[in-house]
Order: sequence, then structure tokens, then C-alpha cells
Amino acid sequence: MRRSSYAAALAGNTGSSPANTAPTRSGAFSHLINSGSTPHMISQHRHSRSIDADGHHDSMSTSWGRGGALPSYSSQTGHWQGLGGGAQDIPPFFVPSYLRGSKHAEKLQEAHKAKLAAHREYRSTHSSTAGSLSTSSSSVNLHKMAGSHRGMTHEVIERQAPVFVDEPVSPWPTKWNESDKFAQLDIEDGGRQARFSGSQKTHDEAASVRADCPMPRQCGIYYYEVTVVSKGKDGRMIGVGFSGPKVALSRIPGWEPDSFAYHGDDGQIFNNTTSGKNYGPKFGTLDVIGCGINFRTDTAFFTKNGHMLGPAFRDLKPNMPYYPTIGMKKPGETLRVNFGQEPFAFDIDKMVQDEKATIQEEINQTKFTASAASAPDETQFIHRLISQYLAHDGYVETAQAFAEEIVDEARALANDDDATIPYQEAVEDMDALNRQKIRAAILEGDIDKALKHTQAYYPSVLRDNENIYFKLRCRKFIEMIRDCNELNTQCQTTHTSKRSAASNPNKRNSTATDEYDFQMELDEQFGVNNPTPSLDNLNDEDDLEDKQVKLQQLTANTIAYGQELGAEFANDPRREVRQALKDTFALIAYENAKESSLAPLLEIDGRVPVAEELNSAILGTSKRFSRYQDNKQLLLTHT
Amino acid sequence: MSSSTVSVSAATPTQHYFQRKIDDVKPSKTDINFVVMDYLVSEGYPRAAEKFAKEANIQLPLEEESIQSRVEIRQAIHAGDIDAAVTKINDLNPQILDTDAALHFALLRLQLIELIRSCTSSATSDVTPALSFASSQLAPRAATNPDFLKDLELTMTLLIFLPATGKLQKELGELLEPSLRRDVASRVNEAILTSMGARGEARMRSLVRLRQWAEAKARGANKDIPPVMPLGLQDAEDRMIGNNGEGADVMVQ
Repeated sequence: MRRSSYAAALAGNTGSSPANTAPTRSGAFSHLINSGSTPHMISQHRHSRSIDADGHHDSMSTSWGRGGALPSYSSQTGHWQGLGGGAQDIPPFFVPSYLRGSKHAEKLQEAHKAKLAAHREYRSTHSSTAGSLSTSSSSVNLHKMAGSHRGMTHEVIERQAPVFVDEPVSPWPTKWNESDKFAQLDIEDGGRQARFSGSQKTHDEAASVRADCPMPRQCGIYYYEVTVVSKGKDGRMIGVGFSGPKVALSRIPGWEPDSFAYHGDDGQIFNNTTSGKNYGPKFGTLDVIGCGINFRTDTAFFTKNGHMLGPAFRDLKPNMPYYPTIGMKKPGETLRVNFGQEPFAFDIDKMVQDEKATIQEEINQTKFTASAASAPDETQFIHRLISQYLAHDGYVETAQAFAEEIVDEARALANDDDATIPYQEAVEDMDALNRQKIRAAILEGDIDKALKHTQAYYPSVLRDNENIYFKLRCRKFIEMIRDCNELNTQCQTTHTSKRSAASNPNKRNSTATDEYDFQMELDEQFGVNNPTPSLDNLNDEDDLEDKQVKLQQLTANTIAYGQELGAEFANDPRREVRQALKDTFALIAYENAKESSLAPLLEIDGRVPVAEELNSAILGTSKRFSRYQDNKQLLLTHT
Repeated sequence: MSSSTVSVSAATPTQHYFQRKIDDVKPSKTDINFVVMDYLVSEGYPRAAEKFAKEANIQLPLEEESIQSRVEIRQAIHAGDIDAAVTKINDLNPQILDTDAALHFALLRLQLIELIRSCTSSATSDVTPALSFASSQLAPRAATNPDFLKDLELTMTLLIFLPATGKLQKELGELLEPSLRRDVASRVNEAILTSMGARGEARMRSLVRLRQWAEAKARGANKDIPPVMPLGLQDAEDRMIGNNGEGADVMVQ
């Protein structure tokens, strides 16, 4: 019984008590049971192989412990039984050795994890019952169901986990694409092996297959290897290379436009021609042929058994997606591919490293060009960047110290009378200090003060940046509501505690503690230092009344301000302004807005963007320094 | 969060795609602060570094006992007091100059230039100290390396031309520029940092270079990026901002 309640809990069924778990299970859970357990039960008897092949599900199963391993089997079984048709599961994730640690790999891995998580979430609703049931209940029950629900099994399995539509990073090839091959090719071993199975009808006919994804350009260099498992009985008419997505698959790669290949029978390379160019040695059974593209130079190369054969093609089209492609012509020819799931025969890692070193060297050689930035040389350019950042972000003292040290440095250099060093101007101190004051005021929630200072020091800013002015006004309203809320909660708390203290005189101590904790929690929520409620205070009627009066006053003020604000912007045609007003005013409808759906508005985090925006507006530079940083990062991704 | 409400952003319609992308990237403040701190420490701005640690609430990198001596060495080189600088460098780590012949030679040559300067400007114009320094210190080293020799020869011609009030050749003039001292000083700084196992060059410098390289690459490949990418340095750029071109993105690949 304990176990079945566990099952119920896992399944998210909160209402059922242990006593009525069993009936519930057969009713509400029946479809869940089917999805997971039915195929599983069968699989254990007949399809042990599928479980073996499923070793990669470790990552999923660990989190589910013993029961959790089941869901992944079940889907796999579905596949083997042809129930689901097509991949039910997310293929295992791997990173080719030469791409380890790259940004691209990182992003792909994240995408994969997200996918996995979504998948698991979907599964968990279905699997947990199945898993726990098989351990907890008598199997008689299960077997009955297994028979009667076959039809539904099918249905459930076909409903796939939510697929991530927007995948910003292009994935790399993982297997041959079953639906992008010529009919006479057989794809085996989870898409890793391709075998020519039919008989050759005409001389020119061949069978090719493309991988599931094009080689991603972001990799810089992409590389894969193919092992010739068997060259067949008569001949080794095998082509290894890459092709565009539209190239016909009925011919050996290399003969068509946008198709490039290295052929085993003559060792020649082909592109858009049936007469090849001498390139490397012939290859046959057990040879490992590697194929790579360097996207930086748009060239392609091949390797054989770990040896570089040199550049094969150049001037590849930068915008064409090239898919790894293999083709063959004779029965029995079999190729096994390695997209990076296993170590490569060729030391591609080193090649990639060398390539990186070359680029790094190039970067190091880059000379600072004065025209690109408004500074005469690199050092001064950096100094200006830094001092601007320091000033802009309000590190006033640092900026000052930095300026002084630079001036010192310049003086040391310039103590010859024939040398003139352009002095770094000291940072506009007053300006920075003023801005700091204004920002601090906003961050404390004192919008009035910020408005006053801004008006005093930078009268044009609010005039010219009406939307910032509007945001500040809105923020002020929000702050007022926050204050109301706070006061309100304080009053209520006092009430509650008084009541509880009265009703439980014996437990007075513990209640006080509870109350205290509660208050602490509130403090945290508000991020404000409320006066710590002292026990004496709790019974202080005056204080309570005082607070209530204050609250009323504050509420009245808030409403008055809101009306004023509404009136001021009532005729504003802008949609955003209207929306903002609407949302903001909605706050007042809640007695305790903290618990409403609009609670996020009240977060003090909301102060930061307002403060930053005002600061930027005052500077009139609108985030230029950070823009510089952005520039760098963006340009970086470009390479 | 409060997306729909408080952020009433007035979108500028004619923004370059690239610009929008830039606005989307939010570099973390921690990262920027790290880079800035790294620069302050490795380039030797101790006071600023200290203040920055306080104001930005970050830790001063531990490494820094050398920062003060590095600052002193830099100041000595900047002021032309090469003797003092060399002594200080050797105090810190005698290996530095022993292992880096080019750096040592650069320092000695700087010293020679200072000597020539003082000799020729003195009333007697007695060049003997400069000559003897050159023959005793620099000549033996110059014999080992053709580059050194060339540099030495060029420096020695200063002896002939410097008294003349007229304009010096460009190459010779450069020898007297303070930027030569600054270059040598920063090379020394890097050598000291490297000798301590730290990163020789401040990350900021690599970043600046990286950015420049990337921009050059992107332009070379005819990627559509704004003709001018304002870096946010006030003057000079203000007039350029706003006439960004439009088009697609560099990143589309």
C-alpha cells in the first residue's frame, strides 16, 4: 500500500488516499500504464536486443532510478515493433573530439539538454506510473491490461514529446538519413552503416545517401570518416564526399553539380564531371577515408587511414549546405560512418588546433588603426574606453584614480621639453557625481528625488526623453503602491498576531516566533528593512491605528497621484503607453498586489532598467560603451 | 518580468539589423568589470585597481605584489632612468633579462639614446661616455644578431645628427619619441608578468585587437555591417552616429 501511494504521488494524483488507489489506477491511469508498461513487458521477453542497443539512455534513466529506466525502453520497443515508426527518442548527444570546448558544441549541448528535459517532462507523466506499478502491484493486474489495451498503446506512442521548433544552432550530422537515400541502400545500425543491397541495373546507376544534417559552417572545420567494411564482390566503386541537398542520389557522388567525392576504384576526385582528377591512392576494404571541409578557406580535403591527402577542392560555395554523402554501385558494398561518435583515425584535433593558432596569430598581428577609433593609438584608445566605462557606470573614485595615474604616467614620459603628450582630460567629476546621486535615488525607490535632481541638473533630459519621464512617473506610482502594500501587510500582521496571541495564551512563545519568522519572510520579500517587530509593539493599539491612518492617507495619495498620471497621459496615442498605464493602474485593484498576477511589476528589480535608462539619457551616449563590448562579442561569433 | 508595462521602448524604425543584434547582446557586468580590473592590474594602475575593487565590489587579484615594483620600473623607464629600471628588474627576477636578449638589448639601447641626448646637449659636447657605453655594452651583443646591429648603427648616427638643430630623419626622430620608451616599458611589464606565470598581455588589448581583426575580416568578406560602428567614445564619433547604413547581418552564416 505504501508503494501504491507513492505511485499515486508520482503521478501527480494528490487526492486519492491509499485505500482507493487501486481502483483509481485502473481507471484514470489506464492510458498511462499502457504507454509505458505494455510494450515493456513484451520487450523483456522478446526484445532483449533493443535494450542493449539502448545503452545511451543512461542519462535519462539515472534520474528515474530503477523505475525510470523503463520509459526509454518502452519507446525503443515501440520502435522495434514498428508501432511508433521513426525515432521516438532523442538520439544520444556526442561532440566530435575536435569540436570539444567550442562555443558551437556548448550551444548544441544546451539545446540538447533542453530537449531532453522537455522530453523527460513529457515522459514523467507517463512513465512514473508504469515504473512504480511494475514494482508495486501484482502482475496479474498488469497482464490483463497488457492484452486489452494494445490499440491504445499505439496511439500514445505516436504522440511525441514536444519538439523544439526553433533551434538556433545548426546541429551536426549524426547518422545517414533514411529518408534521403536511394532505394537500394540499406541503412543499418542506427544509421551508422550503409549497404548496397539491390542489384545494379544499368552501368551508371548507383546508390547514394546523405547524412541527416549538413556540415555546420560554424564548426570552422568539419570532418567525418568512413570505414569501408566491405568493398563487395566485384569492384570498389565507392565514393565518399559531400553534396548539396538537391543532388540526385541515383548516381555516384561527384558526377553532379554541387557534388564532390573521392572514389575508391581509381583514387580520383570528382566534381560535376564523370572524368576525375588524379588525387590519392585507391581504397578498399578496411580503409578509413576521412572527408573534411575548412569553411574558413572554403576548401575540402580527404584523408586515408589517418594520412592527409592534401587539398582536393577549393572555392566551395559559402551558402550551399553540404551534406556528408557516400555512394556505391556494387552489391555487398558496405560503409560504416563515424561522425565523431568514436575517435578518428586522422589527427583532426591537431589540424583544428593549428588552424586556431593560425587565426590567433593573425589576430595578434592585427595592427591598431587609428582611423578605426577616435584615438591616436591603442593604449590611449583603451584608456579612453576604460575611463568612459568607469564614468558612465558610476565608479567615480576609480575613474578619478585612473585619470590621475594616467596623467602621472604621461608626465613621466613628457618630462623632456621636446615631447608633447596629449593629456587625458580628467573625468567630468561633477557630472558623474550627479548622475550617481540620481541613480541611487531611483534604486532606493525615491523617484521624486530623482526627478527633482534630474530637473535641476539636466532640465533638457526629461523634456527630450518623454518616454523616460513617463516611465519614471509610472515607477513612482508603483512605488506608492508598494508602500501601501507594505503598510497594509504590517497592519494585518499585527492583527493576526494579536489574535493568535490572545487565543493561545499558553503557546504565546511559539506564536511569537512564528510571527517573527513570518515578518522576516516579508522583509525578504520586500527587500526593505521593516522595523523588526518587537513583542511590546504587538499589543500597541496606538501603533496599529497610527498605521491604519497612514495607510488610508497613503492610499488616498496614491489614487490621487494615479488620477493625475492618468490625466496627464490620457490622450497619448502610443500603444505601449496605454498598455503600461493599464497594467499599472490595475495594481490598485488588488488589496494585496503582491499576490496578484501583476506582482512582477512590484519587484524592486524593476528600478534598475529605469535607472539605467535615465543615466544613459543623461549621458546622451546610450550605452555606448557596452555597445562596444557587444560589438566585440558579435564580431567574435562571426568568425 | 514587467515586460509589457514599464518598458515602453520607442523603437527606432531605421535601425541596422546588426545594431539590433548588438542591442540584444547583454554583456555581463561581471565580465566587463573583470576585463577592466585585469587591465588595471596588469598594466599597473594600483590606485585605480584598489578603488575599483572597492567600488565594483570585486576582489583584487591575489597575485599582486609585483604591481608596485612594476609601476616603479615603468616610471623609471618613462623617465629615461634605465639604470634604475634594470636594477629593479633584476631585483625582481634576474632571469628576465638573461633569458630575453632582445628585451635587454632594447633597454640598453634606450640607455644609449639617453646618454647621447645628455652628451650632445651638454656644453662640451663630449661624446666619450656614449661611445664607451656603446662599445662596451651594446657592441658585443649586436655582433650576435643582425637586427641588433642595425638598431645600434641607427642609434649611433644620432651622435652625428643630434647636435644639428635642423629636422632629423623620420627614423632618427622616432628614436627620440617618448613612445619608444613607452613601448619598451610595456614590453618589460609583459616580460615580468610572463615570468611570474601570469598572462603577459592584458585581456583588454587582445579584445581590442580581436575586435579590429573581426571587423576587418567582416569588411573584407563584404558582410553587410554598418559602415561605421560607433564605439562610444564621445568626440569624433558623435557626428558619425545616426548615418548607419542598412542591410543584412554579418552573422548570417
